[in-house]
Amino acid sequence: MTASATDRIERHKAVDRIFHWVAAASIIALLATGLLPVVGVKFPWVTIHWCAGIVLTIAVLVHLACSLTWRKLRCMWIRLRDLRGERAAKYTLAQKLMHHAMSLMTLIVIGTGLPMLARIDTPFWERDPYLLAASTWGVIYVLHGLASLMALTLVMIHVYFSLLPEKRVYLRAMWQGWMARSEVPADHDPDRWPGAPR
Amino acid sequence: MSRDAWGQEVLEGISWDLLPVAFAIGAIVIIGHAIYRLINKSRKA
Repeated sequence: MTASATDRIERHKAVDRIFHWVAAASIIALLATGLLPVVGVKFPWVTIHWCAGIVLTIAVLVHLACSLTWRKLRCMWIRLRDLRGERAAKYTLAQKLMHHAMSLMTLIVIGTGLPMLARIDTPFWERDPYLLAASTWGVIYVLHGLASLMALTLVMIHVYFSLLPEKRVYLRAMWQGWMARSEVPADHDPDRWPGAPR
Repeated sequence: MSRDAWGQEVLEGISWDLLPVAFAIGAIVIIGHAIYRLINKSRKA
């Protein structure tokens, strides 16, 4: 789809698009390496898993640094008008809910996954499985496992919706960064998008 | 659950029996929405 420059509405800056696809690739790698061995697909998964975890952690930190501005936070804030079913600005209620749910699961898996690095040998440190008490490790593993299963469910739902024909415009916008004003779905009011040309 | 060096019961991790449950929840949402879309489409046609 080509559109004139004046007809384009910027939806995602390059840094946000790069973050999305890097996070997506690392989350898929983490889910595959974490869960395939559980169902019997045996392979040396640990190194790929923790390396992908480090990539995700760095990507999330960069995203947080770029996103903790008032303008961007406002885009994701759930308001009364979202609950009343009014036209959305940049993100619909469903998109905001998906973002918040996925963010929560990602923060939990990172927060619980990073201490687990102490239990493996890497080129940078020797493992220390006694860093925490056995009961604490148990809580960490339970939270990590639950959050990863919820992330699996969310990823399935997110990928399904992104491939629907009527939602394809969002997928293209996550790749090219913009959508044409004429393409904007009816449940958005593009005049309320921060940064959209008026 | 397992036991630590002092014989106390400790959590080990989640039961991986929950893996098919997580997959099934995702599948139910997807299939449910697909059926809803189909019904809506046939109503509009």
